[in-house]
Amino acid sequence: MSDLTTEQVSALAAALGLPVTSDDVTEVTHRLNALIEALAPLTELPLETVEPIPGLGGLPDS
Amino acid sequence: MTAASADLAFLGARQLAVLVRERQVSPVEITRLYLDRIERFDRALRAYITVLPDAALEKARRAEAAVMRGAEIGPLHGVPYAVKDQFETAGVRTTCGSRLMERHVAAEDATTVSRLDAAGGILLGKLNLTEFALGGTQQFPFGQPRNPWNPEHDPGGSSSGSGIAVAAALCGASLGEDTGGSVRSPASFCGVVGLRPTWSRVSRHGSFPLSWSMDTPGPLGRTVEDTAWLLQAIAGHDPKDPLSSREPVPDYAQHLAEGVRGLRVGMIRELTLAPETDVEVREAVVAAARRLEGLGAVVEEVSLRLTPLAGAIFMALADSDGAGVHARWLRTRAAEYDEGTRRRLLTASLIPAALHQRAVRARALVRAEMCEALARHDLLLCPTAHQAAPPIAAARGAITGRHEVAGRFFTRRSYVTPAALAGLPAIAVPCGFTRSGLPIGLQLIGRHFEEATVLRAAYAYEQQSESRRRRPPGLE
Repeated sequence: MSDLTTEQVSALAAALGLPVTSDDVTEVTHRLNALIEALAPLTELPLETVEPIPGLGGLPDS
Repeated sequence: MTAASADLAFLGARQLAVLVRERQVSPVEITRLYLDRIERFDRALRAYITVLPDAALEKARRAEAAVMRGAEIGPLHGVPYAVKDQFETAGVRTTCGSRLMERHVAAEDATTVSRLDAAGGILLGKLNLTEFALGGTQQFPFGQPRNPWNPEHDPGGSSSGSGIAVAAALCGASLGEDTGGSVRSPASFCGVVGLRPTWSRVSRHGSFPLSWSMDTPGPLGRTVEDTAWLLQAIAGHDPKDPLSSREPVPDYAQHLAEGVRGLRVGMIRELTLAPETDVEVREAVVAAARRLEGLGAVVEEVSLRLTPLAGAIFMALADSDGAGVHARWLRTRAAEYDEGTRRRLLTASLIPAALHQRAVRARALVRAEMCEALARHDLLLCPTAHQAAPPIAAARGAITGRHEVAGRFFTRRSYVTPAALAGLPAIAVPCGFTRSGLPIGLQLIGRHFEEATVLRAAYAYEQQSESRRRRPPGLE
């Protein structure tokens, strides 16, 4: 996946009504791109067959 | 202040409770001692946001009277403690370390606070934290918290003040909150003991939320025994927290001294021996593992290949939850957040749903991997952090590239978030010092609701360790 640009992040934020200022947008873009990159290895895991449960041991009646 | 009074301050919660019970020391004397130390040392350390001298001394006087008339008293009777300013306290402001809440005053105590009060504890004050327990705060509105072992270094977070106050003997014990390491990290960086209980073991009622499925209050103390006694006081079902467990609460102190003979301990290879783990940290943790082996435990390496991904998975999930909690204020009061907090929450607000779903499913795999390892071992072992406390300056300033994000946020979280993602109990216990004099933390992770085993192993290690006898310099 190619990196998001600051323009794309600004547009996405505006669509969600989030006030991402010009001071914030560069760092927010770096953070978002870093997270996407860090989670890229998850595509190699067999996630389709995994139940998306929170993985808790203490839910009432569990 | 005499050396004898400093010795008293550094005793820790349980020993203080014993001295009070035996009438060897007065709750008023101990409370005054800690208030004097806060006055003397906290201008520099900034552990506290709010100190409650009048209320604390009033309760201390009542505690003293109860002892003198031979009344029935609780297990923490007369022990001054403090709580992270994330826990609500009736009539006393709860800021969450943020200007947005600097005038917030709750009508009732958090369940944990009322339970510590019922156990006889004396609330000294409210402790500093990273804003809204998130981490990455650039400018702390109530003062920069500093590490007692070296004030230029980070005390850890988010329960920063909870670690500092115990390490510097500014209270007998403290309460923190651990979503993804927020009790264990400051415990490790400040050289004290910090316990994350099983998720749902302790009520979250009255604690400002970050991530509903990972948040849990947890105690910090000078000793493993102190954290056991605090957990005893706060654990158990609470009707005000519908997700709190009805699992019976065992007697945590009863089996503390039973040793580790025969316990099977798995040392997590991907964290303990990782290239990211500082050499001094690795040596100290491996030496601790060998020490446990010498005490009779069976220690072997285990491979948990998903653990290096845990930090990023955690941030995708917990930060998304946090963005939900803060959705309204982010749109109406964004400028009032600290810059670091705001940018982190804005980022989380933009995480694509498909990526979030992938992280939710990956979390289930991390949990399964941890639980499978714990089916073969009684405990898992690894460092609490990949390095000792870094300089405060290292986390300051804007992020200038995405590779910097991994270093600042994902790597270190991968050591503490596997237990959080899996809802497992985990303890940080001091296991040595770097050559520059900063504490190193050993982490032990147990099965769901088996805090007693975690505490027992940590206690056995602690009794053999020299670390607990050292005190931060200049705080006598």
